[in-house]
Amino acid sequence: MTDWRKSVQANHQRPPGRPLPHGVIDRFWQEAAALRAIESRLRDLYRRWGYTEYIPPSFEFADTLSTGAGTLLQGQMYRFFDRDGKVLALRPDMTIPTARLVGSKLFDQPFPHRYFYTGPVFRYTEPMAGMPREFYQSGVELIGAGGPEADGEVLALAVESLRELGLQDFRIVLGQMAFFHGLLEALNLEPADEQALKLALDRKSDPALRTLIDRWGLEGNLREAVMRLPRLYGNEGVLNTAQEVALNETMRAALDTLRAIEKIVDAYQVKAFITLDLGEVRGMEYYTGITFEGFVPDLGTPVLSGGRYDNLVAAFGPPQPAVGFAITLDRILRAQHIHKVPQVPWMPDIIVGGTVTPQHVTLVQEARESGRKVAWCYNAHTSSELWAYAERWNIPKGVWFDDDNALVRESGNVFRVPLNEVNPLL
Amino acid sequence: MPEHIRMALPKGRLEHDARQFLARVGLMSESPTNGRALIVPGAEPWVDFLLAKPADVPVYVEHGAADMGIVGLDVLREGNYDVYEPLLLPFGHCRLSVAVPQDQVDAYESLRLHPTLRVATKYPNLTLEFFHARGLTPEIIPLSGSVELGPLVGLADVIVDLVQTGRTLRENGLVEVRIILHSQAVLIANRASYRLKEREVRDIIDRLSKHIGENDELGGEMST
Repeated sequence: MTDWRKSVQANHQRPPGRPLPHGVIDRFWQEAAALRAIESRLRDLYRRWGYTEYIPPSFEFADTLSTGAGTLLQGQMYRFFDRDGKVLALRPDMTIPTARLVGSKLFDQPFPHRYFYTGPVFRYTEPMAGMPREFYQSGVELIGAGGPEADGEVLALAVESLRELGLQDFRIVLGQMAFFHGLLEALNLEPADEQALKLALDRKSDPALRTLIDRWGLEGNLREAVMRLPRLYGNEGVLNTAQEVALNETMRAALDTLRAIEKIVDAYQVKAFITLDLGEVRGMEYYTGITFEGFVPDLGTPVLSGGRYDNLVAAFGPPQPAVGFAITLDRILRAQHIHKVPQVPWMPDIIVGGTVTPQHVTLVQEARESGRKVAWCYNAHTSSELWAYAERWNIPKGVWFDDDNALVRESGNVFRVPLNEVNPLL
Repeated sequence: MPEHIRMALPKGRLEHDARQFLARVGLMSESPTNGRALIVPGAEPWVDFLLAKPADVPVYVEHGAADMGIVGLDVLREGNYDVYEPLLLPFGHCRLSVAVPQDQVDAYESLRLHPTLRVATKYPNLTLEFFHARGLTPEIIPLSGSVELGPLVGLADVIVDLVQTGRTLRENGLVEVRIILHSQAVLIANRASYRLKEREVRDIIDRLSKHIGENDELGGEMST
């Protein structure tokens, strides 16, 4: 084998580094191919379910993107000025632009609308668990349908998406903000106390909950409802237990919705992937109904998150109920890596070298038209140099043209093929 | 066969108490194991323990490299970690306090009146949070040890540091004037493990909580 490493070292000194800003990465080789493969599988899946593509702008007015975004997401936006001094921002998620599109432009077109998107979003966060500040999301929004059927559809599509990407043993954790909002109605707390309660639930901290309950002097069924919230988690019986602690109509209606959703996801045969957690109150500020997150074994962070946001479209136009989810592709890549999901090939199938005659070009074009990925290597002066190149780049097949003959190398074997008989590339 | 659970434990201040507590619960064996090993087996085959620097414990847990962990609230709140905190544990009690030189206690009765405060600390984030909440913008001097030295050598006006018995402060002529945080050991869990290894994580939480007595001091949080 030609030692290409030696020649590289002999001829080039390491060039000076050109650092990238914190939080952005070059995606190339396997990484780029894998990312695009994920996108194209999801795109095909979403199309089969009747979703149509929405390509939002990468940046728009910061005001617009702040709508319903909550302080956390707002604080994470990349903002900059245009020449008129207007404040722009890079999109921190895809849901807000979708809500703007439907609310302000497509509000009078027959509903429901179904949109999917795929592309980078930008958040100024501490890179966490391999998440760059420019990261890729694919997801769907189902707008103009408020019932449990829509919730069930989107949940089922979330499960199908993760399956489509070769993941197994994952779990979708389903929460219900409406249940928590009903509890807040019953408790009638000051805004700061609501935040404290939310934080304690976010941390699943029994001691913090007990401290709050004591401080507020909650008694009887109010106390019971708060303390039991973190335990309203699991599958069988959770809804019945929740029914016992429900304090008002809002909470009971929220549970009825979950029962109806349960029937729908059962019909889609994806119920086994879903776990209820009524104590889950995190997620985007704009969520009003169900919320859900997808977890994959051995990956500490969720790969998918979504929920119902019935008030967001109303910020831009006539109100429309809406539900959707987004998958974080950077984390899917990592999950696929951990779980050894077979990788797509990213290099050509065939590398071709030797003389470039009209006959040889014709043969190469024939192979390309039949779907083979074929590239010329002009830098190899001998067949063995071509084989070395093929080996370095993991290209399974090499073809060396020598006028009327070709040397073909495949799985380590080299054989001679006369060109007037067959195309050695096919 | 239960799912495997890896728990991160902090070396140093909390280590002894954490080991004892876990032994009492029956998760860790009493016999001292190889002192240098970074991963030690548990008393049950499905549990093992990873020994890490205290500040690294929540990092391991947040990223899922450990399913659960034990760490001081001081360390947990100093960072911003996305983990669950199901239990406070009955050891490692201490407080994060503002301390000033003895002869200046009166001068620092109102921190507000010192617009150019220099604060030496190992906890820059909690310190800033405390002062910002009061509309103050002190100069933070981040140190990684022996913070008490700060005022003695004129590096800082006041310090923010952990106080357990108060002895170190006294010996260095410092007096505690404000408490920023009541700290103690806390059990943390990775969000994905909490879901995907639900039975085992729940089992550990329940076993630990049975060994927390009614009279154990609980409820430490930020004082506001």
